Amino acid sequence: MIDNFLAGTQALFSDPFTIFIFICAVIGGMLFGAIPGVSMLTLAAIILPFTGALEPAQAIMLFAVIYCTGTYGGAITAILFNIPGSAENAPTAFDGYPMTQNGQAGKAVGSAVLCSAIGGVASALVMMAATEPIANWAISNIAAPEIFALVFFGLAVASSVGGNTIWKGWLSVILGVMIGTVGQDPIDGVNRYTFDFVDLAAGIAFVPVILGLFAVSEVFTQAEKKAVGTYNAPKFSLNFPKFAELWREKVAVLRSILIGFFCGILPGIGATLAAFMSYGEAVRWSKNKEEFGRGKLEGVISSETANNAATGAAMIPLLALGLPGGALTAIMVAAFEMHDLEPGPLVFWNSPDLIWVVFAAMFWANLSILFIGLLETKTILYLLKIPFQFLAPLILLLATVGAYLTRGLVLDVLVMFTAGIVGFLLRRSGYSMAGLVLGVILGKVGEGNYARGMQMMHFEPFSVSTGYFGRLAPIDLAFTTIYLPIGLLLLIGGLITLAASVWAALRARPSQMS
Amino acid sequence: MGNLSRQHIVETVVWLAMAAVLFVYSFEFNQSGEIYPPGPSAWPRAVIVLLVLAAFGNLYFHHKNGDSLQEGRIGLTRDDETLNAQRSLGANLRIGLILLLPFVFALSLKPMGFYSAAPLFIVGIIVLMGERRPMAILGITILIYVLLIIFFLVLLNANLPQGTVSPFYDISSQFLIWNTQFHNWLGK
Repeated sequence: MIDNFLAGTQALFSDPFTIFIFICAVIGGMLFGAIPGVSMLTLAAIILPFTGALEPAQAIMLFAVIYCTGTYGGAITAILFNIPGSAENAPTAFDGYPMTQNGQAGKAVGSAVLCSAIGGVASALVMMAATEPIANWAISNIAAPEIFALVFFGLAVASSVGGNTIWKGWLSVILGVMIGTVGQDPIDGVNRYTFDFVDLAAGIAFVPVILGLFAVSEVFTQAEKKAVGTYNAPKFSLNFPKFAELWREKVAVLRSILIGFFCGILPGIGATLAAFMSYGEAVRWSKNKEEFGRGKLEGVISSETANNAATGAAMIPLLALGLPGGALTAIMVAAFEMHDLEPGPLVFWNSPDLIWVVFAAMFWANLSILFIGLLETKTILYLLKIPFQFLAPLILLLATVGAYLTRGLVLDVLVMFTAGIVGFLLRRSGYSMAGLVLGVILGKVGEGNYARGMQMMHFEPFSVSTGYFGRLAPIDLAFTTIYLPIGLLLLIGGLITLAASVWAALRARPSQMS
Repeated sequence: MGNLSRQHIVETVVWLAMAAVLFVYSFEFNQSGEIYPPGPSAWPRAVIVLLVLAAFGNLYFHHKNGDSLQEGRIGLTRDDETLNAQRSLGANLRIGLILLLPFVFALSLKPMGFYSAAPLFIVGIIVLMGERRPMAILGITILIYVLLIIFFLVLLNANLPQGTVSPFYDISSQFLIWNTQFHNWLGK
């Protein structure tokens, strides 16, 4: 492995043009992640047509690096403006933004820099060591029924994050799943809820929805505060966290790396669920649960470590199975196709050089977050000094361009502003934006895998021979191998989470906060 | 009525009405597939059932606890200070216009194009956000507009809406001509 890594590093840094692309991708990913209203997806979508002229290894490496640094960059806007760069940064905003309002923006961003780098580097190392055996295990043991079970578990967890009551958490998630049903159904391709709009046949594009729910609704919310006189400008600070403060969170970092890697490796799930699960677990294991959501450093650390830990892992289903784990890895599939390559097991045989250049680039990109990220953060923190009435039109216009460029349709801009108003109204009524977004993403994945899973199980999911009970996956321990029904365990976990939250809601007492 | 307020009832009615409309519309694609017998309407209908259950659960919570938040929740999003603030007619009008202006802008993109509609939109938002100093409005509008043009047109060559109505279409064309001339000049 070390020889391959060194060869990949040498190939990466021996060609000046490849180095130039690497540096551009590092800075571009961070900047697009950090500028409110646009994201790494906007950058990836814009540059995709131009990467056809590059060497295959350069093109794939470019997107892999943008994925790593963009995932970190999204944390900056999540912390400073409550606008996550993408869905995987949404849990970062839960505690990062309150920290900014408490005058601890520097501490929050500093810990996001460090933890993103730690999570990313750890993930890259594990990815290099474990890609082949894990890919082999997943190929034979993770299929549609298990993915649906994981989606169900993820949605059950998501409902407990955000929202003023469990019911509002669930309503947010369900609305997201409902939005995900617009367009052609994943099995028969029948149009659903398109209301005779041809452009809706492909479904509601994800980028405009997320821009509307986070960027636009945030502008509307701040505008309302300015109009009624309750607006408080965020406080400006550059007090980065002390080493001792971060060392106290070492358990959270380790737990988040494991969760991030586990979620990232599963096709179609990616970094978003990793961040949510890691945040949820941080709350579950904490003795001071009530402090979460009000500016707790552990919340930022858990989310940011996990989402970057998922980036390396997300490459495994993409490269080993040809299945993208999220929007950016889906764009990478298009980049593969532009170079007449097909992501999947054959890439390991046909283009091993490409694989190791990508792996080496991801390792160095995550490490560079630590250095370039800290320098860039100091610059970006000065954005806080800009009055919001001047920042608002910039955010709205960047969001408009981002939504329009997704497919070149004005309809997507209208969808974005509609999502903005829906988000504004839901937020002021105590619903969860993060739950809604996760519902949109996982709902689509869940339906397709539910249908395929049911077909695989001959529509008898609880049959002992063909159903979840019979789907045993081998887990190699030190001295023995055990067989576990992974899908069934995930379903039971989801049901327990669901039952516990409903029970808690029925016995709910009013919070002292109200 | 318990602790229910008018807002709680309106909220529930909106959810249930949405569920009803979506359920009725699901008959438009209610067919049994050959590969997948439950058909394309099965999943949305299951989601609608969950939506109705959650809407009633929400109503029950408010019936029991009024407008209170649930203890132990994370990521609470409601801002009581803003919700309970005294609102003048002018403030409500400003909020309404801020919500409306982006739609007017989006609808104007096709006929007017991005290059003509954007400066008007920037001025509108800045004014509605409470800025009244003419030089600040003018300066920031020019700064944002120039930044966007440099970034998206000059650097990325992004294909933005150009408009369909004269003279807006001509303005967009002029921008594109200048951009091409600039790139040609750089090429020399």
